[in-house]
Amino acid sequence: MTTKHVNRLLLIVALAVAYVGVPLLFGGNAYVLGLIVAALTIAGVAVAWALLGNLGGMVSFGHAAFFGVGSYTSAVLAMKLGVPVFAAMLLGGVGAAVSSIAMLPALRLRGPYFALAILAYAHIFQILATEMTPVTGGAGGLLSIPRFPAVFGVDFGEKTGGYLIILTIIVLSGLAYDAVRRSSWGLALKAMHDTEVATRVVGVPSTHLKAAMLALSAFITGVVGAFNAHFISFLEPDYAFSSGWTVLPIAAAIFGGYRTVWGPVVGALAIYLLDQLLFKPIMPHGHQMVLGVLLCAMILFSPGGLMPALRRRAAKEARHAHA
Amino acid sequence: MLTLEGVQVNFGGVQALKSASFSVGEGESIGLVGPNGAGKTTLFNVISGVVRPTGGRLDFRGASLLRLPEWKRARLGIGRSFQIPRPLGHCTVRENLIVAQRFGAGKKDPKRIDEILDLLNLREKADRDATTELALTEHKALEVGKALATEPSLLLLDEVLAGLETNSKRAFMERLAVVRERYRLAMVIIEHDIPTIAALCPRVLVLNFGQIIADGTPDAVFRDPEVIRSYTGETTL
Ligand SMILES: Nc1ncnc2c1ncn2[C@@H]1O[C@H](COP(=O)(O)OP(=O)(O)OP(=O)(O)O)[C@@H](O)[C@H]1O
Ligand SMILES: [Mg+2]
Repeated sequence: MTTKHVNRLLLIVALAVAYVGVPLLFGGNAYVLGLIVAALTIAGVAVAWALLGNLGGMVSFGHAAFFGVGSYTSAVLAMKLGVPVFAAMLLGGVGAAVSSIAMLPALRLRGPYFALAILAYAHIFQILATEMTPVTGGAGGLLSIPRFPAVFGVDFGEKTGGYLIILTIIVLSGLAYDAVRRSSWGLALKAMHDTEVATRVVGVPSTHLKAAMLALSAFITGVVGAFNAHFISFLEPDYAFSSGWTVLPIAAAIFGGYRTVWGPVVGALAIYLLDQLLFKPIMPHGHQMVLGVLLCAMILFSPGGLMPALRRRAAKEARHAHA
Repeated sequence: MLTLEGVQVNFGGVQALKSASFSVGEGESIGLVGPNGAGKTTLFNVISGVVRPTGGRLDFRGASLLRLPEWKRARLGIGRSFQIPRPLGHCTVRENLIVAQRFGAGKKDPKRIDEILDLLNLREKADRDATTELALTEHKALEVGKALATEPSLLLLDEVLAGLETNSKRAFMERLAVVRERYRLAMVIIEHDIPTIAALCPRVLVLNFGQIIADGTPDAVFRDPEVIRSYTGETTL
């Protein structure tokens, strides 16, 4: 079996466990399932963040903006215009992608300057959501946002249904990410990182490609934000645009392996579930500190994150098995 | 096919191009010579869109290029190499050509990529990392290859022969001649070595202090007193 086959097999097993195993195991445990959904919500943003960093070469400190715009767009569309919730969720992604247009001028900036500019943008959107009271409910927020409906006998408004939705969002995002990475776009994006001018003179519209990655990343983040809004059925600007929606996904991506497609998902599950199920009961105050230490340790011992470390380990064992 | 008129480039206080005017006909091969700092590379940068001129006209096949970004010019058929090779980052040799073909020529044609690899003697290095695993000759060949993969009608080569030892240089020159015939290209070649230029190009342009000071056959140009003066120290012209 080649690595490609192994990878495909692993993916199929992971999908089977995720779609069948988890609901069977935790379907009755609303608390644990709620935690898993929260972890996957972070995972979705983490995948989008890593996609932008990996393919677009852009480090963003402002993904909370896309999360917030997506959640508000979807909530407002569903509440005020009666748009069906699933459609509203996708439109939330579109809204976030559109909002990324405002960030296009920042694309000329490199490295830390881009990161800071996008942070400033995130703040602007939060202020907008707070000030546009007639539409967004202002600082008071929006209550009783419509939940997901029942379709074909599955109640997506329940925890298990919500879990299936966010899981599907992540799977589709990961597959889309992988497809772009393998395409000639992915190749050109990779080539652009250090040699943008050389890439442009062979015909690559580098700015367009980066803008497209920003829009795709924003779209995914917006859909995840929208999902969250309908799942918890409540929004306020401080929550929807909270810097936590930027920081936790970054930590998750780095922990799991920001250079891989599925590393951010693994990272989000590991970080969030460890924190909530293990550290928090032991250390009700300051449990996030343990996370910080864990993240530092990961960066020191395996800068590529958990996924590459596991892969190295598996490769080593395979060699031993041969010997 | 290409016409420059009064092209001017200032970098702060430095006038890299004062007023450059000339044209290139379809399929023509032109040598571009001039002392260090004369503005040769800057001229290529202007034509390919890397540098915006501060004045002048630049037309390609009857339309102005001035407002077009680099990538649109590449798609129109202008290919260039870089004096200091710039392989595309994190890519193999073949991937360099694939990106150039996919975006510059808008097609997927593995056969033609193999053909380019063969023409430039890069077949064996096709799957090597282009940034770290190539020798100088191969770097220069890849510069030509990237441009060729975009299927240009005008190829601008910036000192692709410089720094090569005699044998590889001769081989490379032969390859360039084959490439020119095969793809019916117009070429402008920057090169310091006069015998090389004379062998490859029936027409030579001399650039000095940002201006074309001579334009003609190699014989006529290299006998021109002003050209000889511009190369002070090089008495063996
Ligand atoms: N990006 C830039 N910024 C500032 N000055 C520049 C820039 N590029 C070129 N110059 C200056 O413009 C002048 C012309 O440079 P150019 O590279 O075009 O010369 P050249 O004829 O190609 O020389 P060489 O034979 O050494 O390659 C030089 O004085 C150079 O220092
Ligand atoms: Mg030069």
